[in-house]
Amino acid sequence: MTMTQARTRRALMAVFAASVLVATACGQGGPSASQEPAASASAAASEKPQDGGRVIEATISDIATMQPILVNDTASGRVTGLLYDVLIQVDAKTGEPKPNLATFSVSQDGLTYTFEINAKANWSDGKPVIAQDYLTGVQAVGKSAKTVRKSSYQDVQGFNDYKDGKAQTIEGIKIDSSNPKKFTVTMAKVSCPALLDIANTYRILPTHVFGKYLTATSKPEDIDNAPENTNPQVVDGPFTFSEWRKGDQVILKKNPNYWNGAPHLDEYVYKVVANTAAVTAGLKTGEITFGTIAARDLADMQTVDSVKITKYPSLGYTFIGWDTQSNVAGVALADKRVRQALAYGLDMDAVIKAVVFNEAVAHVAHHVAVQWAYPQDTSALNPYKFDKAKAQSLLTEAGWVKGADGILAKDGKKFTLTISTNSGNTERETLAQVAADQYKQLGIDAKAAPEAFQGLVTKLTSGDKTLDATIIGWSLGSEPDPYQIWHSSQIPDPAKNVTGFGFTYFKDPAMDKAIEEGRNPSNGDCSLAARRKNYDTFNKVLNEQQPYNFGYVPNVLAVSSKTLQNFNPAPFSTVYNVQDWWIKK
Amino acid sequence: MRTFILRRLIYAIPTLIGVSIITFAIVRLSPGDPIRLYTFGARDITNEDIEALRRVYGLDKAMPLQYIDWLSRVVRLDFGQSFIYHKDAGSLILEILPNTLQLAVVSLVLQILIGVPLGVVAALKRGSWVDGLVRVFGVAGHAIPAFWLGLVLIIVFAVQLRLLPSQGMLTVGRDQWDLFDRLKHMLLPAFVLSLTGIANYSRILRTETLDVLGQDFVRTAHAKGLHERTVVFVHALRNALIPVVTALGGILAALVGGALVVETVFSWPGIGRFTFAAAIAKDYPIIQAGTMIASVLLVVSYLLRDIAYAVVDPRIKVR
Repeated sequence: MTMTQARTRRALMAVFAASVLVATACGQGGPSASQEPAASASAAASEKPQDGGRVIEATISDIATMQPILVNDTASGRVTGLLYDVLIQVDAKTGEPKPNLATFSVSQDGLTYTFEINAKANWSDGKPVIAQDYLTGVQAVGKSAKTVRKSSYQDVQGFNDYKDGKAQTIEGIKIDSSNPKKFTVTMAKVSCPALLDIANTYRILPTHVFGKYLTATSKPEDIDNAPENTNPQVVDGPFTFSEWRKGDQVILKKNPNYWNGAPHLDEYVYKVVANTAAVTAGLKTGEITFGTIAARDLADMQTVDSVKITKYPSLGYTFIGWDTQSNVAGVALADKRVRQALAYGLDMDAVIKAVVFNEAVAHVAHHVAVQWAYPQDTSALNPYKFDKAKAQSLLTEAGWVKGADGILAKDGKKFTLTISTNSGNTERETLAQVAADQYKQLGIDAKAAPEAFQGLVTKLTSGDKTLDATIIGWSLGSEPDPYQIWHSSQIPDPAKNVTGFGFTYFKDPAMDKAIEEGRNPSNGDCSLAARRKNYDTFNKVLNEQQPYNFGYVPNVLAVSSKTLQNFNPAPFSTVYNVQDWWIKK
Repeated sequence: MRTFILRRLIYAIPTLIGVSIITFAIVRLSPGDPIRLYTFGARDITNEDIEALRRVYGLDKAMPLQYIDWLSRVVRLDFGQSFIYHKDAGSLILEILPNTLQLAVVSLVLQILIGVPLGVVAALKRGSWVDGLVRVFGVAGHAIPAFWLGLVLIIVFAVQLRLLPSQGMLTVGRDQWDLFDRLKHMLLPAFVLSLTGIANYSRILRTETLDVLGQDFVRTAHAKGLHERTVVFVHALRNALIPVVTALGGILAALVGGALVVETVFSWPGIGRFTFAAAIAKDYPIIQAGTMIASVLLVVSYLLRDIAYAVVDPRIKVR
């Protein structure tokens, strides 16, 4: 998962609009071919797709690399995902794992995964994609000094020894001696996120290209600085690489030999623009084929005849995190009743209207509705409908009473609350302002304080206790494991030099247990049903305890030219059916 | 002349070192940890992994040591590896710089081609409606914000009239050497970028021309019976241009530095947006390389200015 800054980085580049800080959670997701005909192709399905044409996608951030093991941002993830295929994909609408480049099975004890790569799968130079190529990808991660993916393989038997240079091979990865396309991966312990960590990834590298950087004598720089990282000529995805004009565009050409069927499109151009205003202008003039727009531009876009607008819930949410140990407001925020009052006391429907023009849904727990881990029985979750009287009575119950100046106080101490957010993100700045205004009506001395994103991040993760409340967003991945955000081990502790995302300092033994069981189940059962039970408990604790005001899940507003057919973006992927897209002339 | 240039270049060294120390300190003392930012998307990344990355990028050392490391590499023209692009920061900057330079050069030409004649005409027709118009423009050109003008031009010429592209440097799919297409893309951004300069030059030229026209040597020239055109363009203008040359010094650096707004409005893939993005991501090597290259540009353009002085004004001798 990723903390989002809402426009701006490339995670860089930001300022003018918002940007996403780093990105693909886990580098998962890539294009990945859909095994079934696109569901919504129905309307266009009656027409015969025409080959040819070009699609131009607008992006606000340029790519950084096309080396799968180094990818760590949305833009690079998109392009690398179109070049390199993933072993296991997730369903674009539900996030459930399903076969792609390989089929898979899990052993009874949950420790060994068996994969078999599709017989038709070839590299673009005609050589077959083989199990050794998977191993090469894992070895590259082990050797690299710059990858941030080492933890993805931490539970693979022997990976740590290889990484530390104590072994020349990775014991847990075994290639079938009779079938070069078949292999097994054995884990040191049962880990439910492992399947997606090790297989929903495009980190499968052509051995005949990258093998020379991974010999016993190779240095980390050999793979990290390989020329192929910015000029990949041997790939196995639906598109091949043509040109990268830095800061401007990446040009991809169709891979006529793609194992899952060549795309109809001749060319896929990833075009860098400065901000969402440029995206809307480009969509109007036809300089851009598709892109996502900001909610404030929706009304304007709806008047344009030449485009189609697709709305779907984003895989993430924008929230207000309460620091229950903050120097100023910590005393108040440590009390569950106060946090609940802050949920009842914020009219989220009004906020959504003011901040994102109604293009969002109120949110009350961690997982979002499109994830399989989201509780199926939503009646178990308190919706915290706006109720000012209830908020006030909870505050009174907690001992906070209004003084002569109308400000709540307890034991002579006033309830002051500063809501911080990353400056430059107008949506969040508005949210902070609206929330502060509403909390003032409860008698809280609340104010909004924008601050640079980089500084906020450092404060949040390092255990600084000067922030009372912070508005940021999480962008979640296909793997719903919430360990990194909510397990008590992730609470920052400067004394022990521990950093992490547990910046609310909230912990709960039942919640820890549910997180652990959903991640490393004691009975070895990683089925979705078993994990879902744990995540129901987990979400219920958070819903009740309100360490965040969980804010809202914004809609993604994808706008595409009406000439582009079969374009049906979904929460888990925009390009899952890219080989079915075609341009109607 | 050669000693003059040499001496000026030697003087530039302490300036550049000063600039490098200041930027080095500012980027590192401003809040935010680049490795934290860089590792954000990584699931389950451990503190050990983060510390290892810090060592790879040399960020685990004390700041003065980091500076010495950096300086010792820079003298060999190695600006270090970008945290984000995993490539040499200097070569990345040099790859993007031409995009901004072409925009800057075209707007410099526009500034001079439009601004200088406007000023001269206004001075010759002093008090006329032409003069009034130029003077109003001289103020308006300064006052109109570039981002606003850019957006209006996009709405009018790209979105409404469809005469010009709204963004970028080339139509997708066109060859890099399609100069006509490039020029079409450059028209609006170059105009917006040159607006302040046009206003500036027309104002300076008007005042200077008026001043020069009243001087003795011009009266003498007239008295000698020289043709009006000769008097204005050969004798008067050459003298009136001196302050323009002054303004020209640093103009190139100012154009390159000032291009951020224009690049953003028109999605021009230039150095302004590139280094700005690097600053947001705290990509130290790119920020450093960008500042150093901009400083060198500035030093060089001041040097060129001083040489140009000698050319337009024979009274000035460079030593």
